[in-house]
Amino acid sequence: MTYFEKLFWVSFPYIMLTMFVVGHIYRYNTDQFGWSAKSSEFLEKKQLKWGSILFHYGIIFVFFGHVAGILVPKAVYDLLGVTDHMYHMGAVWIGGLAGIATIIGVLLLMVRRFTVKRIFINSTFRDILVLILLTLIIVSGFVNTVWYTGRGVAFEYRETISPWFRGILALNPMPELMIGIPLGFKIHVVSAFLIFGLWPFTRLVHVWSLPLEYLNRKFVVYKAIYSRRILMMQSNRLKK
Amino acid sequence: MERKKSPLMKKLKFFGQSKDIAEHAVLSPMDREAEKVYRRRWQHDKTVRTTHGVNCTGSCSWKVHVKDGIVAWETQATDYPSTGPEMPEYEPRGCARGASFSWYIYSPLRVRYPYVRGALIKMWREELETIKDPVQAWQEIVTNPEKTNRYKQARGKGGFVRSNWKELNELICAALIYSIKTYGPDRIFGFSPIPAMSMVSYASGTRFLSLLGGSLLSFYDWYADLPPASPQVWGEQTDVPESSDWYNSSYLLIWGSNVPQTRTPDAHFMVEARYRGTKVVCVSPDYADFVKFADNWLPVKAGMDGALGMAMTHVILKEFYVDKETEYFTDYVKKFTDLPFLVKLKPHGDSYVSDTFLRASELNSTISNGDWKTVVWDQEKNQFAFPNGTIGHRWEDKGNWNLHLNDPEQDYKDIKPLLTILGNEETQLPVLFPHFEEETKEVLRRSVPVKSFKQDGETVYFTTVFDLMLSKLGVSRGLEGDFPKDYDDPRPYTPAWQEAITGVDRKLAAQIAREFAQNAVDSKGRSMIIMGSGINQWYHADATYRTVLNLVLLCGCEGVNGGGWAHYVGQEKVRPLEGFQTVAMARDWGGPPRLLTGTSFFYFATEQWKYDDTTMEDQVSPLVEKPRFLHGGDYNYLGARLGWTPTYPSFDMNPIDMTKGKDLSNKDQVIDSIVKDVKSGKTKFAVQNPEDPKNFPRVMFIWRANLIGSSAKGHEYFLKHLLGTHNGVLGEENTEVKTEEIEWGDDSAKGKLDLLVTLDFRMVSSGLYADIVLPAATWYEKYDISSTDMHPFIHPFNPAITAPWESKSDWDTFRLLAKTFSKMAEKYFKEPIQDIVATPMLHDSRGEISDPFGKVPDWLNGEHEPVPGKNFPLLHIVERDYTKVYDKYISVGPMVKEQIGAHGIGWSAKEEYEKLKKILGPATKTKDYKDCPSLYTGRDASEAILSLSSATNGSMAMKGWAVLEKKTGQKLSDLSEERAAEHFSFNDITAQPRQTLTTPIFSGSETGGRRYSPFTTNVERLVPWRTLTGRQHFYLDHEMMLEFGEEFPAYKPPLRKAAFRSDDNRPTGMGKEINLRYLTPHFKWSYHSMYYDNLLMLTLFRGGPTIWLNRDDADEAGIADNDWLQIYNRNGVVVARAVVSHRLPKGVSFMYHVQERHINVPGSPITKQRGGTFNSPNRIYMKPTHIIGGYAQLSYGFNYYGPCGSQRDERVIICKLDREEVNWLED
Repeated sequence: MTYFEKLFWVSFPYIMLTMFVVGHIYRYNTDQFGWSAKSSEFLEKKQLKWGSILFHYGIIFVFFGHVAGILVPKAVYDLLGVTDHMYHMGAVWIGGLAGIATIIGVLLLMVRRFTVKRIFINSTFRDILVLILLTLIIVSGFVNTVWYTGRGVAFEYRETISPWFRGILALNPMPELMIGIPLGFKIHVVSAFLIFGLWPFTRLVHVWSLPLEYLNRKFVVYKAIYSRRILMMQSNRLKK
Repeated sequence: MERKKSPLMKKLKFFGQSKDIAEHAVLSPMDREAEKVYRRRWQHDKTVRTTHGVNCTGSCSWKVHVKDGIVAWETQATDYPSTGPEMPEYEPRGCARGASFSWYIYSPLRVRYPYVRGALIKMWREELETIKDPVQAWQEIVTNPEKTNRYKQARGKGGFVRSNWKELNELICAALIYSIKTYGPDRIFGFSPIPAMSMVSYASGTRFLSLLGGSLLSFYDWYADLPPASPQVWGEQTDVPESSDWYNSSYLLIWGSNVPQTRTPDAHFMVEARYRGTKVVCVSPDYADFVKFADNWLPVKAGMDGALGMAMTHVILKEFYVDKETEYFTDYVKKFTDLPFLVKLKPHGDSYVSDTFLRASELNSTISNGDWKTVVWDQEKNQFAFPNGTIGHRWEDKGNWNLHLNDPEQDYKDIKPLLTILGNEETQLPVLFPHFEEETKEVLRRSVPVKSFKQDGETVYFTTVFDLMLSKLGVSRGLEGDFPKDYDDPRPYTPAWQEAITGVDRKLAAQIAREFAQNAVDSKGRSMIIMGSGINQWYHADATYRTVLNLVLLCGCEGVNGGGWAHYVGQEKVRPLEGFQTVAMARDWGGPPRLLTGTSFFYFATEQWKYDDTTMEDQVSPLVEKPRFLHGGDYNYLGARLGWTPTYPSFDMNPIDMTKGKDLSNKDQVIDSIVKDVKSGKTKFAVQNPEDPKNFPRVMFIWRANLIGSSAKGHEYFLKHLLGTHNGVLGEENTEVKTEEIEWGDDSAKGKLDLLVTLDFRMVSSGLYADIVLPAATWYEKYDISSTDMHPFIHPFNPAITAPWESKSDWDTFRLLAKTFSKMAEKYFKEPIQDIVATPMLHDSRGEISDPFGKVPDWLNGEHEPVPGKNFPLLHIVERDYTKVYDKYISVGPMVKEQIGAHGIGWSAKEEYEKLKKILGPATKTKDYKDCPSLYTGRDASEAILSLSSATNGSMAMKGWAVLEKKTGQKLSDLSEERAAEHFSFNDITAQPRQTLTTPIFSGSETGGRRYSPFTTNVERLVPWRTLTGRQHFYLDHEMMLEFGEEFPAYKPPLRKAAFRSDDNRPTGMGKEINLRYLTPHFKWSYHSMYYDNLLMLTLFRGGPTIWLNRDDADEAGIADNDWLQIYNRNGVVVARAVVSHRLPKGVSFMYHVQERHINVPGSPITKQRGGTFNSPNRIYMKPTHIIGGYAQLSYGFNYYGPCGSQRDERVIICKLDREEVNWLED
């Protein structure tokens, strides 16, 4: 095992995951006002409408696809009686459709960011970097799924990449699993970890601020200056 | 204090702990930390009282909030003294524009460092390197045409480099010294407008230049803000009520003044007056902001207001003077106007024309000053009477210059002047009156009742001004002649006649005139007319204004609170006038200063005179065979050589060389020899040859102003001829109408100016075209004072922060220049120089009784002998020690002890001078003037101005009143007694605004908290107006007034002009086009150039240059809203977007004032350059009657009388720019 193989399949993922966790805590604590999706809808609407919607719905499906393919061990499928054929049909068709939506979406966003002058002028280096990385990840992932499967030489990542990934999470790195996997998958994995590391320092943090609480929140929210004291008084009163 | 918790901990800790407290409400466990952001937004370290030195001259007091050393925002001050019970208050004052000012301080427009054009500084450094002598280095550059071209043609093309104060001061002073030595100090010019908006800054440059002997350019007339009708009628520059007095009016006629838009902080008084029941009538061609408040709207055709004024005068004369006599009116006009005065008639063919006022000297040659005493007919004694108060009495100093109707010559008391001869007439004579229409001129033949007397054996007929006026106006009293029958008769000047011209319904015009007069009857004169630039900025504005002023004069409204005229255009009221003049013109060190009419200067300096496209033939009275000259320029030369109007440079010689080799012990002889040389033609007036390099302006300073971008009417001519750089002039010189007396060179001069220096805190057009830009402090970074005629307070400027980057206050900048200059002068001017300063005969001096009977005593062709102060400029020999300029700049000179004053009264300020020395301390930094008060800082200057003015120092007011009491024999000092002990200090006015004292130098009383209204002292205390008759004038009998048919208020239509002359380079193939009148009224989102480029203001309306069009006009040329347009005529091209609106009438376009090229202006396909400024299609013309001088109220005063830079008479062609034609010239 070479130095670089260790670096890519052990150290690098841990560095990136550390940055991911610590970075988020740091950013959340120090930059409440910058914690934002940095929407550019104000500057351009028409292209954003298609690009953003396609991308976001696509990426949500893709995310769940990854959960199914990577976090869930192959044994679970076997146990449930999901055959490889069934799994791959699902992965290619559902994953492919979501992938197409995501790719079209991200490419539209990319074109928009570079061709609409006012958007480009208002973009930071980080905005552009994130977009390029995302495009790289999405395109490589899509190509991996469709290209290999489409050629009929389905690469069984569920036996290599997935256990490796779970090993990383379980603090039991198994870099040997990653040796010999096709280049496309390597690119996909490395760039994905890279974006995990950069994540806290970019607009991607908005993923954690999905306002789900609106679904069941009451209309009027009161905040007290001494909130804890008030809450205590409230509960004392309720006790009486 | 609770320890700060990390946001993440809070979020995690309280996750899901909300408590329901109602059906729809929840009590969140989250704290309210987030609110602190908003709370901190409005926390600040200190507030500082200051104001805005903007030329809206609203002079509002502001609190500037400073936080962490940064000016964060500003809010209106609210602590104005009360206007008293039953009155609305002044507070708060300020508008959205002012509230956005702090943006500028840190904006990209801010000039942070001293800049110089690269092409120039490169040569300068090279020359200095080799020559070592700065003056010679400058000479090397400016005497080498290749080198001068290099930097002059770079003007307006960028290429600024950062320099430093030391280097640029040396360069500027080298240029000054070289120009003084080679050409003379009067080749150095300073332009800065409206001192009232920041007096100390104004005074800094003018003080420095006056000590040098440089020429200061006027601005009020150049801006066409001066209403020349005011000097003509009242002998007063401009004197108007403060805005709170609008509330006292019970009938407001608002005529061409967009009060809510341009007088925003004052407009509420008009609205509040409406709540009190005041009727508001608006006259405006467009549905302007102020029309919203109108009970009646008179939509007059643009520029035709004079016709409406004449018709309304006709109605008032007919219904309130002839049909039934109104006692209040006749009493008033007999006492306070020239209507009862007698005018001689002169035979003209088989008829007569009106001539000069009858003078006492023509009836009794023994009467002193008899040429200057006008005459009435006493109806009781049935005799001529010579009432008090005329200009002849004024300069006799017998203590009877007052408005009591007494005749001291014949010892008559209580004269009863006859208003009309009718009923007492000897006969009726047909009199011819000039009449002007848009395309023609006519003569009206209407009879007048007359009396006669014998003069040199001949019968001379005379009548009253009133009789002439009635006949001129066409009010028939059964007299013979061309009188209209009734209001529906289309002959002049009936309501029907005006309807054809103005489009205003004849019944409505008559109704408004009737209501206006009836209100004045019922309220004893509380009918007011607020008038403004909408009618004031035309070529014939003075004629139009006088037709409108007829209404207030005939209805006895002047000198009454709530009544009279109210003109608000570029308000010019420096309340602490005497102190200001002293500091600004360096009068404390002698003088006189060189004060020049801006319009004449620019007319010649920018060679606009060679492009004139109208001749005087068009404008003279039809009763005159031909004008004296065809070309306006020749009139200016006439006025200059007669000493009527100033002219600098004065002669084609260096004024410091004119005494060389002459014996200075006999000054009269020296002056005589100079006059002789001029008469013989050995020495020539510089104005006779504006194209001779000896006569070029050489160095010019601009400060507190944006001359090139804002007021340069004939902008492209400025660029072409004054600055010598790229330009968009499309016209050709007019070789058909040439000057007769001014030399007409075939090759017009280009790039006359050697050095243009501007002091500014913004990089605007003036900076973009200057050679040197010095960073100025903003209004939040210096000490200064400001006043206005809109309100009676004086506001301080205080620095909220020190001037950031390398900027300096104007006072400090010029002090530094003075220091460098004096230091360098030690080498180049070892001895004091003798400077010949030529000045005109001044108003409010004895010079105003120079030319009796208002004749033209021209000496050029030998008919008269040139006599200084009579028909030739006064010549003064002024000694200047250039090594002492700095020391004099920073100390108050001792002349203050001898004489200080204004408006023709002077007194000694010895005590105040001593007190000032105690306040400011002695000038220890000087070498020789350690016994004088220090004037080192801008704050010292403010304090000096406050101490030396009667409006701010009670002891000065009392001294002034004492002098005026002696002159008039009237009791006056009681007006200031109640506040005689007050003396405003700078701290006082910083603590709270204070209302100024009643002063003898202004005509209104503020005693007992009364609201300021002009002429109340004249009416109530019988102090005469400073005019020929001492009364308000309807009739002006100067020969040149008669020549141009403006002896009476007259309707004169706009100039007949085309967009192009046949030999101009008119662009072809431009597609569909329309030809419209081009007006540039005041903007809603800026004041002149100020705020137009402010991001906050730009976001409010389309963010760039716009021009408003009527929708039908736009349709005709295929223009849709927001299309890019080219607007052009022979003067230049401007590019702007269309605002298509039904608000505008057809035939008119509005390009709001000062939309400059530095904000979003694309290129023009015609010129291939960036599309000009709003002034590119404009230019100026000379109005001959404005150069009259030496004759009572028609005498020169700085910013008081002079040709106006009118800009409303132009026509433009407008065509659409296709989208692909819009080129931003960015590659």
